[in-house]
Order: sequence, then C-alpha cells, then structure tokens
Amino acid sequence: MPSQPAREPTSRVARLLGVDVGGTFTDFVYLNEDGVQIAKRPSTPDDPGRAIVSGLAEFGWTPEEVVHGSTVATNTLLTRTGAPTALITTKGFRDTLAIGRQARPDLYALHPERHPPLIPQRLSFEVDERVSADGEVLTPLDRRELEVVLDQIEATGVDSVAICFLFSFINPEHEQTAADAARARGLSVSASHDILPQHREFERLSTTAANAYLAPVMTQYLDSLAARLEDGVASSPRLRVMQSNGGSLSAASAGRNAVRTVLSGPAGGVAGAFAAAETDGFPQAITFDMGGTSADVALCPGRLLERTDLLVDDMPIRTPAVDLHTVGAGGGSIAWFDPGGALRVGPQSAGALPGPAAYGRSTVPTVTDAHVVLGRLRPEQQLGGTVSLDVERARRAIASVAEPFGSVEAAAQAIIDVVNSNMARALRVISVERGYDPARFTLVAFGGAGPLHACDLADAVGVPQALIPPAPGVLSASGMLIADITRDAEQGLHLSIATDAAGAVPVLDGAFDALAGHARRALAEDGYEADVTVEFAADLRYQGQSHELTVALDAGLHAEVVRSAFHEAHAERFGFSSPDAAVEVVTARTKARHAGFQGDMSVSQAAEQTAPRTIDVRWDRSRPTTVLARDALTSRLAGPAIITQLDTTVTVPPGWRAEPLPTGSLLLTRTGEG
Amino acid sequence: MAVNVDPARLAIFDSLVSSIAEEMGATLRHTALSPNIKERADFSCAVFDREGQLLAQAAHIPVHLGAMPESVSAVALLAPWQPGDLAILNDPFLGGTHLPDVTMVSPVFAHDAADGDDPIGYVASRAHQADIGGMAPGSMPVARELIQEGIVIPPIRLFRAGELVEEALTLILRNVRTPDERRGDFNAQIAAQRLGERRIADLHADYGDVRYVQTAAALLDYGERLTRAQLAKLPFGTWTFEDSLDDDGHTPEPVPIRLRLSIAEDLVHFDFSDSAPQRAASINAVAPVTRSACYYVIRCLLPPETPMNGGLFRPITFTLPEHSVVAASPPVAVAAGNVETSQRIVDTVWGAFNQLLPERMPAASSGTMNNLTAGGIDPRSGQPWAYYETSGGGLGGAPDGPGLDAAYSHMTNTLNTPAEAIELAYPLRVLENSIRPRSGGRGQQRGGHGLVRRTQFLGPAQVTLITERRTQQAWGVQGGEPGQSGRNTLETTTANGKPTRRRLPGKITVDVEAGDIIRIETPGGGGWGAARRRSSPR
Repeated sequence: MPSQPAREPTSRVARLLGVDVGGTFTDFVYLNEDGVQIAKRPSTPDDPGRAIVSGLAEFGWTPEEVVHGSTVATNTLLTRTGAPTALITTKGFRDTLAIGRQARPDLYALHPERHPPLIPQRLSFEVDERVSADGEVLTPLDRRELEVVLDQIEATGVDSVAICFLFSFINPEHEQTAADAARARGLSVSASHDILPQHREFERLSTTAANAYLAPVMTQYLDSLAARLEDGVASSPRLRVMQSNGGSLSAASAGRNAVRTVLSGPAGGVAGAFAAAETDGFPQAITFDMGGTSADVALCPGRLLERTDLLVDDMPIRTPAVDLHTVGAGGGSIAWFDPGGALRVGPQSAGALPGPAAYGRSTVPTVTDAHVVLGRLRPEQQLGGTVSLDVERARRAIASVAEPFGSVEAAAQAIIDVVNSNMARALRVISVERGYDPARFTLVAFGGAGPLHACDLADAVGVPQALIPPAPGVLSASGMLIADITRDAEQGLHLSIATDAAGAVPVLDGAFDALAGHARRALAEDGYEADVTVEFAADLRYQGQSHELTVALDAGLHAEVVRSAFHEAHAERFGFSSPDAAVEVVTARTKARHAGFQGDMSVSQAAEQTAPRTIDVRWDRSRPTTVLARDALTSRLAGPAIITQLDTTVTVPPGWRAEPLPTGSLLLTRTGEG
Repeated sequence: MAVNVDPARLAIFDSLVSSIAEEMGATLRHTALSPNIKERADFSCAVFDREGQLLAQAAHIPVHLGAMPESVSAVALLAPWQPGDLAILNDPFLGGTHLPDVTMVSPVFAHDAADGDDPIGYVASRAHQADIGGMAPGSMPVARELIQEGIVIPPIRLFRAGELVEEALTLILRNVRTPDERRGDFNAQIAAQRLGERRIADLHADYGDVRYVQTAAALLDYGERLTRAQLAKLPFGTWTFEDSLDDDGHTPEPVPIRLRLSIAEDLVHFDFSDSAPQRAASINAVAPVTRSACYYVIRCLLPPETPMNGGLFRPITFTLPEHSVVAASPPVAVAAGNVETSQRIVDTVWGAFNQLLPERMPAASSGTMNNLTAGGIDPRSGQPWAYYETSGGGLGGAPDGPGLDAAYSHMTNTLNTPAEAIELAYPLRVLENSIRPRSGGRGQQRGGHGLVRRTQFLGPAQVTLITERRTQQAWGVQGGEPGQSGRNTLETTTANGKPTRRRLPGKITVDVEAGDIIRIETPGGGGWGAARRRSSPR
C-alpha cells in the first residue's frame, strides 16, 4: 500500500487558480474553501487571455492568486511574431546566429535548409571590444562606436536589443556598459551575462536573442491580462507564470525573462504528474503525457530533473527546463507503409482536424481508430463529451492497411505495437540511457490517450506499475496551481579542483553566496521574502571534458566532497568515474524556492451513469472484459478491463489489475496472471 | 525474404537496434575528453549481425557510412573470440579510413553462450582523435607516405577476455602527442563498446536466438527493398562526369576523378576506372571512403525516414581501379583522402546525378572541409597541445532555394568548436567568424556564401592546412555561376615589425609565431539556374 499523504492544507492563500492555455482548450483548476473544482473551455488563440477572463466570469470564481501556463513564448518563436530586435556583439562575430555551429539539421537532405535567425544581418551590429578567457580586458569598449551603433539601432525603429560579447560571462563590464547605454535610449535590453552567464557564444547568444525577441511581447501580454483580471475579477489577483523548469515566476519577472517560459505548459504537466505521484507515495516517477499528436515523457527520480539543452525550431534555448522528451506519437498519429514495406506510425498526425477516421471527418487510419477496432475505445463513450465514435468508419480506415496482417484486428494491434515501440524508445532514452532502472519507477499516465497505453508501455520497458491521477485531463493546470515559486541564478566559473585539493573552495562558495543573494532578492522583489529555501548545484566535468553533469551540492562543501559527489554522479550516469582526474566547476547554480500550495488536491468528478458490464474485447485474443465507469470502481479489479471517465479511457490488459487509491488516483499493477 | 517478419515487427526491431547505436554515441560523446569528439561530435557508432552486416548506425558522419563494415571484416583475422575481447585499429589498408579515425570493434556474445560459441554480432565505434602522432601535430600533415601520418595500428586486441592488454596501450600512447587526452578518449570509446555489447546481448535474449537472427535478416532485406524501390524510379542509362582536386600538395597538377555511372532496373554501378593513379601524397582515398561517398549520395535520394543498414547498399556495385586515388594501396599517405578527396568524389557523383535529375539536384557545394590542425607547447602550462578544426562553406543553390551559408556539406556534419571553448582550452584567440560576402555563385538560386575565420596564435605553433577549391571552384548548374574559390592567408609581422600578409597554398605546413594570424576564407557554393541580369547575389 502506498503511504498516506499529509492531508493538512498548508496553503497561505485561500483562493488559488491554475490555468493552462493550450492550443485547443484552456484548462482551469480552482481551489477555495470548498475544495477543488475543474473546468475546460475552448481556447481563444487570437487573444489567449480572453478565455481566462470570460471563464472566470462565467464560473464566478474570484482567485487571489492565478498561476498561468502560457504558450505565448513558444508560439511567438514558432510563428516568428516577436518584437523586431537588434544585436550588438563583439567585432568579428556579427554573424554568429546565422552560422550557428555550422551543422546542417538533416544529414541526408539533398537541399539542406535552416530557419533564418531571429535577428537578421541588417540588424546585427559590432563594436570594438575584447575580453580574454581569463576576463582580462584586451581591447577596451569603444564608447563612441557604441553610441554610433545605438544611433543606427534607434534609426531602425526596433524595440528590443540583444547584447552578447565574448567572455561576458567571466567579465560582464563591457556588456553592462552597453546595456546601460541602450536602456538609456528606452530600448528593451537582454544582455547575455544576465540571461545566461555561461560559455559557448552561439548558445548564449541564441538564448539571449530569443529573450530579447520575446520580452516585449510577453510583457505586453501579461500586463494586459493583469489589467483585465483586475477589471473582471474584483479580487485583482496576483499573477504568476509557469517557467519551463516547473517552478513559477511573478508576471513582472516572466516578462523580462520570457525565454524561461518556452516550455510553460508541458512543465505544468510534469509538475502536476510528479506531485500526484508523490502524494500517492511514488516519488520515483516517469511522467507520460499522450495527446493527439505527440507524447511527452519525463523521468523524476524523487525530484523534477532539469535540462539546459532545449532546442526550439533548431534554436538552442539554454535556460533550465523540465527534462522532457517528446516523440511524434499520439492518438491522431497516422499509420502508413514506407517504400520498403515496414509499418510506420506518425509523426504525421490527423490532429484534432480532420481527426481520426472514427471522428467522422477523415478516412486515415490512426492509433485512435485502432483502439476503436479492438473495442478498447467504446462507441457509447463521448470523447470530452462532444465527439461520438464511428466504429464502421474506423474499421474501413484500418482495413486499408490490413493486407499484410491477415485481419483488421491484427492490423489494429500492429499499429498499437508500433506506436508503443516509438514511445518505448523515448522512455528508454530518459531511463536506461541515463543509468536509471525502469523497474524502480511508476509510470504516471495522463493526457487524452496516456491511460490507454500506460500498461502496454510499462510492459515494453519493464515498469511494474502505472498511476492514473484523478483528473488526468487537467493535470497541467493543477501542476501550475501547486508549483513552487522559484528563481534560478547561474554563473559560469571554469574553476578547477585538483585531485589533491582539500578543504574549502572559496571561489565556489563566493559564487554560491552571490547567486543565492541574487535569487533571494529577486523573489523578495516579487513579494516572497519569508519561507525561502535555497538549493545549490554545479555543472561539473572532468578537466578536459566538454559536457557537464549538473550535481546537487550544498554551500560550503570541501573540495573532497565536491569531487566525490561528481565521481558518484558520473558513475551513475555513465557507468564509470575517473577518481585520478581533476574536476572542473563549469557553472554554479542556485535555486531559491518558496513553496506553492501543498494541500489536498483530490477532485470529485460527476459519476457517469453506466453500470459495469462484460463484453468481448480483443487483446492477445478476444477475451471477456469488464467495462465500467471510474467512479464505479471501489475495490481491486483484475484485467482485462476498460475504465471510462469523462476525459480519458484507462485500459487494464490481461495480467494487470486496477486499484482505486484514497486520493482518487488509480493504481495499475502488473500481476502476470491472465 | 526467407522468413516472413511482419511489417510492424520490422519497424520495432529497427527502432530497437537504432536506439542501441544512438545510446553508444551518447555515451561516447558525453565521456570523451577532447573537444573534437565532444564539441564537434566527430564519431560514429554501429551495430552488426554475426556476419558483419551493418544493422544500424547512429547518423553522425557520412564518411563513416560504408567504411565501418570493413573494420568488422578486418578484425576477423583475430578470431576465435572470447567474451570481453575488444579490437582496436586505424590501419587504412586494413579496415580503417585515415589514421586519426581510431576504430574499436568488439564481439557480442549471448548471455547464455557456452565456451567456444561464436559471437552473435559485433559493435563498433570510430572517433577522430585530435592527434595520433606522425610528422605534424593533429596528424594531418602534408605527407607522402602513410608512416609519416602517425602510428599505424593494424587490427589487434586491446582487451583479451576483459583484461586490458597494457603493452598495446602503452605502445600507442607513447607514439602520440597528447597521451592523457587519448587515454580519456579511448576510455570513452571502450565505455560505448561495452554498453553496446550489453544492450545487444539483452535484445538477443529478449528475442531468442532464432527470432533475433530472422528479424535481423529481414531488416537487411527491408533496407535493400528501400533502395531498389528508389532506383527503379530512375531512368536507365549511363552517364559520365569528371571533377578534380586542385593538387596533391606537392605538385601543382590537378588530380582528376572520373565516373561512369550506370543505372539498369533497380541496380546502380559506379565505375571509377579512368580516375588518376595514386600519388605520393595524402590525397589518396582508400576504397571504403570512395564507397561511403557513393552511398551518401544514394542515401540523399532515399526518403527521409529511411533507416541506415547494410541492406541499403546491396544493389550498389563498384569498379575501383587498384593503386588509384579512389582505391589507394600501400605505402601512400591517405589523411586527406578521407576529408578532401571524399568530398570531390561526392561532387563527381553529384554531377553525374545532376544529368539524370536536373529538377532535383542542387549545384556543387564548397567541396572541402578546410582542415586546420595545429599544435605546440602551451605557453600557459608548458604542456603539449593539439587542435583540429574543420570549417564549412557555401552549399550549392537548389531548384527550390539558395544554398545554405557557412555550413558543413556532404561527407561531414560535425559542429564547429565555439570560440570561447577554443580560447579556454588552447593558446589561441579567434578574431573573426563571419559569413564571407558575395562568395556564393550567382544564379536564379544563389550558392551559399563561405566563411571567414581568423585565428591568432598566442605562442609558437606548427600549423597544417589541408584545403581544397583554392584554385578551382564549386560548379553551378543550369546556368548558375560557380562559387568563389577559397583563400588561405598568414597575417604576420616582418623582422622590422611591419604587418604583412602572405598568401598560403591550399595544402601546407607552416611554423607560426606568437601573434600570427591564420585567415581562412572558405569557398562559396555553386549557383542554380541562370541569374537574372543585374540581380544582386544577396
């Protein structure tokens, strides 16, 4: 039995709203004195805030604090609708964004193409200045040239400017001078030592340029949303935004650090799924979100893992993000044969429109259609309460790829096997490839299609159990509601710890001190001064390596301890360590954290009025299968079974059993019998 | 197909073996020491069946494509194998390509293997080592004989039954300039090998021997069908094309490469009979490199999601004249054959396919990797250093758009080393990294522009340049103009302190002093289609 979570609400805010604006739906999770309520409304992509404001008015909710998951940053990058932005860089490096790392994205393209850079060459300017790798000023910044460049930039009429000088992460003086001068001209400024003080000029510039491009758009959006919330909701709530790494940030800070929100929505999902797993007593979790076009998986070994190597549209975004792996596998993924005769599923998707054949608007065979053919998605179900399923149409679609399989059912099963193998590959990337044994984890499945595939996927990678949270359709919004308020600060150091170094490491401690102060002040400015904890970590590598591992540390550790923490982390991740090599501290990191809501999040859903019954469903063969509504499940149930609820369907294959937990979650366990 | 493996099983098996190759690559990259492997990702990993046929290769470097199976064949002379054995080699005439590419191959045994059982497959990794000895730091000298280019490692065991053969490692490390870095990179390669062995053995155990063998065979048949399906869509006939290298680094005469390309039914034949004889120089390509270049072009014509396995190459045959620049024999040097001649072979094949498929094929790309190797003693630490960098150029203009600027083309797709990483690691300063204006060939779709890179040396060093398209140009097609040739310049000061510039040839080893600057301007790509009159190339 999982351990019972603490049920004492520790919230300091009485009325909280988590709201996730997705492409199709805006999800609401509202918490007040009476408990948790959930709702979904169609999104308003032309003006994403409208759905939020009108939803609140409709429900009569008056939150004191709103935590918002926003796709504004991502969409602005993908559609290239950000602020016109100029660049100021070190002489000789104006083309850094266009050159990138010189690689072409597709090795075997006849005609390789790259996305044009966010800042075109005509808006890219150079000034004479140079700092060496040890931070020594080799060429002082030419201030007259800087003013001339700023005159030119002003003349172009851009709103925003990115500043990135070589080695500014070691000595930021020149960048600070340039940033001050640009701000004095009324420009929105993103300086690279501030946005991402780490080495590798292209990646730092790419991140800084994205921030400069997004900041004015994000600031305007959040200002307008805040104003409308004040008008529409008498409470004039405090507004926070979900960051890519699963913590939240005040609206004002989110505007200035917009690039930190590019994975805002998915981060809410991971945070929500991990919190649900923790509450149920399964802190070793793999989160699995499967929707219509893609599936996101993330591994949480007792905590949210972060990565700093995100690519958006081939652009490196090096600010911390949840360590999410995305694969083009969803309910709408289309099955097809390649020229060699292998069955492929996805990455093309029928999406929401025209959607799977079973939705009645297309004839393409999709994963959803395969489930319908096998009887795992039931025609009497109403998907999201709106779409009814056309079984005959689904059969005809699957029949179009059935020839090599002998039957429509066998083809449907083959489609599901292939899409599962695509997702299993992603799961292996984040688990076994990083030294984690899936047998020690629980798969937390959510999203419209996640619970349909949870047990199959668990079988494929050797995960012994799966958890379906109570309201898997709004998990991102509930993740936002409970997200901690965090501020990250990092600093590139390039400090070597020799094999015989012992005792205190003053340079690292100094950096930790400064960063912690910085992060605390930033939280205080946002109104979170009390109850703040600070975590420390460092990106470490063996001297001479050029990839780093982020290792959690404490402040004030001795050199011996830092070294052995890294040897351990390296051995865990790569299977070996080199105790006789010096360790290099590449980046020091701190995270200041103010806890979010930590109380009871269980939701009661309206029961569907269908009695349990037994029908034949095709698994390895056709088997009598229990079909029942989720609220009707009150005790353990052996598979095969199909459990339906408003926003998803849970399959319990033969050899698995389902068990309702006190929190409202559903635990699926492999029994091997069946 | 001998055994019927259903289309879903095929896709799933492909995904499993490919992810093993990719996981090996991730391990190698993340644990290696040298920036060349870590930052530039100059390596490949692959998985083979028990006959040495390629089942999957992590897509990193096309020049390794056709050459990895040769390494597995070459180590066969070490059989019989024991579990834990691991072979190492770099001999270009025995399974290698050029000396800096060090390949490890290890047999994989079933978990339940009995004494005397044969391996169930092999895994291999190849990584470009920043120095492997020889007459110049970085081991890419302007040489005449192989022996000048570095230590030659024929296939030998580095591990015997899981035990390191210390003497072998000691011998190798004594013959390179940066032994600690080499040891670290070898360790990373060994870690990747061991991981691949475990994963393949696990997969074999999951499937059971019979099913594993059947599915692997079906995967190769499937690869073959993919290529045949594509070839069958091409017109039948014979086409010829000729391109050439600027020179061999010693004598100024161009080195011609001549191709007769024949397509009939669903088979393709590459006949290089009339290509130049090998030279006492380093521009000679060994046969596996030539085959890789041809495989690369065929692979570009296949659909994007095509998996990479040995079956793809079955419908492809070759005539490669012995002792030629496209199929070198001992004792000539070969370092540039891998990096430069391979590009020209692609250009030659590209030119032939341009005649078949004028509506699809772009013009020639810059056609060189612009190799710069350098080394010396770091004045900051007193330690030896060795640095290797390649630079991209302009890609060819295409029917549907201009060529990319400043990008790696064809046989390479490494990453450049960031200026900040270079300056943290080496006594070097990067003064400029910019797009070279107006260097792409004019056309309806212009060729991509090349790159300008200026690197300053903070102490005395020896620098070797192996570059191409310095006297010739990347050709345009359909009336497009050629791209500009590349240019190498030494910016130095005379004895009386006056700044001066010295034009350097395409292939040279030169001693530089503290403060000297090497300026490399890389070639532009060829244009596609006739330019409209008076239109600007940008």
